[in-house]
Amino acid sequence: MTTLTRQDLNFGQVVADVLCEFLEVAVHLILYVREVYPVGIFQKRKKYNVPVQMSCHPELNQYIQDTLHCVKPLLEKFCPGWAITVSPAAVLGPGWEPAILSSQPGPLSPKNDVEKVVVVILDKEHRPVEKFVFEITQPPLLSISSDSLLSHVEQLLRAFILKISVCDAVLDHNPPGCTFTVLVHTREAATRNMEKIQVIKDFPWILADEQDVHMHDPRLIPLKTMTSDILKMQLYVEERAHKSS
Amino acid sequence: MADQLYLENIDEFVTDQNKIVTYKWLSYTLGVHVNQAKQMLYDYVERKRKENSGAQLHVTYLVSGSFIQNGHSCHKVAVVREDKLEAVKSKLAVTASIHVYSIQKAMLKDSGPLFNTDYDILKSNLQNCSKFSAIQCAAAVPRVPAESSSSRKFEQSNLQASNETPANNELTTNGHGPPPSKQVSQQPKGIMGMFASKAATKTQDTNKETKTEAKEVTNASSAGSKAPGKGNMMSNFFGKAAMNKLKVNLDSEQPVKEEKIVEQPPVSVTEPKLATPADLKKSSKKAEPVKMQQKEKKCNRGKRIELSDDETKETGNVKKKRRRIKLPQSDSSEDEVIPDSPGTYEAESPSPPPPISPPSDPVPKTEPEPSSVKNSSGENKRKRKRVLKSKTFVDIEGCIVTEKFYESESCTDSEEEFKTKTSSGHRSPAMTVKKEPKEERKSLKKGAAALGKANRQVSITGFFQRK
Repeated sequence: MTTLTRQDLNFGQVVADVLCEFLEVAVHLILYVREVYPVGIFQKRKKYNVPVQMSCHPELNQYIQDTLHCVKPLLEKFCPGWAITVSPAAVLGPGWEPAILSSQPGPLSPKNDVEKVVVVILDKEHRPVEKFVFEITQPPLLSISSDSLLSHVEQLLRAFILKISVCDAVLDHNPPGCTFTVLVHTREAATRNMEKIQVIKDFPWILADEQDVHMHDPRLIPLKTMTSDILKMQLYVEERAHKSS
Repeated sequence: MADQLYLENIDEFVTDQNKIVTYKWLSYTLGVHVNQAKQMLYDYVERKRKENSGAQLHVTYLVSGSFIQNGHSCHKVAVVREDKLEAVKSKLAVTASIHVYSIQKAMLKDSGPLFNTDYDILKSNLQNCSKFSAIQCAAAVPRVPAESSSSRKFEQSNLQASNETPANNELTTNGHGPPPSKQVSQQPKGIMGMFASKAATKTQDTNKETKTEAKEVTNASSAGSKAPGKGNMMSNFFGKAAMNKLKVNLDSEQPVKEEKIVEQPPVSVTEPKLATPADLKKSSKKAEPVKMQQKEKKCNRGKRIELSDDETKETGNVKKKRRRIKLPQSDSSEDEVIPDSPGTYEAESPSPPPPISPPSDPVPKTEPEPSSVKNSSGENKRKRKRVLKSKTFVDIEGCIVTEKFYESESCTDSEEEFKTKTSSGHRSPAMTVKKEPKEERKSLKKGAAALGKANRQVSITGFFQRK
């Protein structure tokens, strides 16, 4: 197992910061567009030089921030050359995806701790009606040498924001009284790292239930895909066929 | 055929790609004029509505017209959804324009996505943002980078010239001298060149002399108008006293005044002044006393500026000005005569007191002056004072000769006062050395006699106090 250098940690921190910022904006925008909460609690803010909608409810904002704060250390492991040798696959429990995908991937096939970040919208019966899945992977060639890297990434993230804004056209209306939650698909080793932060932040994470994760007969609607030098991400929506039932 | 193509394009953008198609975005994407893009969108909406296709379209319109609010009429421009179009139109007194702004499948809750749609495409077409626009100006042509850098320099020079043109206009109105623009433009260059290089100063000084002769009348006539303008600049650096000096110079010595006025702009520039102090000495002698005054005014320390004997006459007026600055203490100091105190020092201390330094023949005139100013202030400040010291040696004849000379020392006001009190009782008229009176007279003439006493007293008492 290779050890992380300082440069790798800084790179990972940069990517984690960028991702967490974007995920925070995306969660707020999803809640606004899908009318999970009343429109009145949202106010227009500016991010990536474009107007976005952000909640001004303090508890909601704190919940979203704490959630992403716990996810951030997992995203910081996002670095080149992080070759892992893992133990055989082990299922943590119901509700988790197979935590470890394979054993001993090569040194040139890096893995990160976070596979997906999912924003799940639940109806009154706590059954998922929609899942906005942010699938995060490393690009094939990881580099930070480009001068216009961040501006290019900003442009791509702006496109994600725009796609979320117009996702109403391709999705059915949600039933009233919906709630939401956030799921993180990760590895077992990563959960141990998360436990430290959970204790510090007093924000416990629990294993997801089967019914929260799996959706019966979902409809897959791709929204946007981006590939940059530091990040590869795609956004798609899993929508339940009959939302009202 | 062409109509079909663009309609298919729009249909692909809206229906297949689920994009927000604004007229501006369409204009840049298809490379057509904005008015043509608006017409395209309108045709597409009309055809789709006629076809009654399953695809649901949401259209936004841009409405502009005169709007009366609180009795005031204003021109209002608004982007409204299709369902609110009629309501907005009814509020307008006169509807000037209505056209399709965007077409999209999703129903927009706010205008943020519209801005987001146009942001990237405008950013990528910044160089030719008005290429397909209906708002154009023939004079608005982008500059070449080389031209832009030269234009900046030209603008800077114009700004400098515009600052100088008021003075030029005054000269032209008076109708004296050569063309003022050349003079004024040459003067700063000449002065700046004087500060920059030694060789340039000599040639420029000769030019200045010729110019000063021609300008004497003009300066005298325009003194009133110039002085306030120059005075503001001077006062910022030197204060009112310097301004008074300049006015006196204008009345008395016009060549000197001319150089002062000419040198004021560069004096305001501290770098050239500080960079070449040697050049100041090599420049005209008339300018030196003025600069010396200005330097003294700036810093309270008594700077020693050596003046040759030839300059004594020229600095007579300067002395007078210095006296004005230094208030009455300088006058009182001139009246005192101190012949005897060196003898007392010799009698009490036959061995030469430490430390002894050789006498300095060109005694600077300005040394005691700043210290008197400090005494008048009554504050305990660190300053340099001329202290009388003695040096004993055997001359040719075999006599033990004690020479008295003044040497600058740093001390505080409190020490000086104490020394003056303690040394008052030690004075005696005895003079045992031939050379002493001459040196004393030389030194006393040039500075405050009280300070001379105090200096001598400082040396003796200071010696005792230190023990």
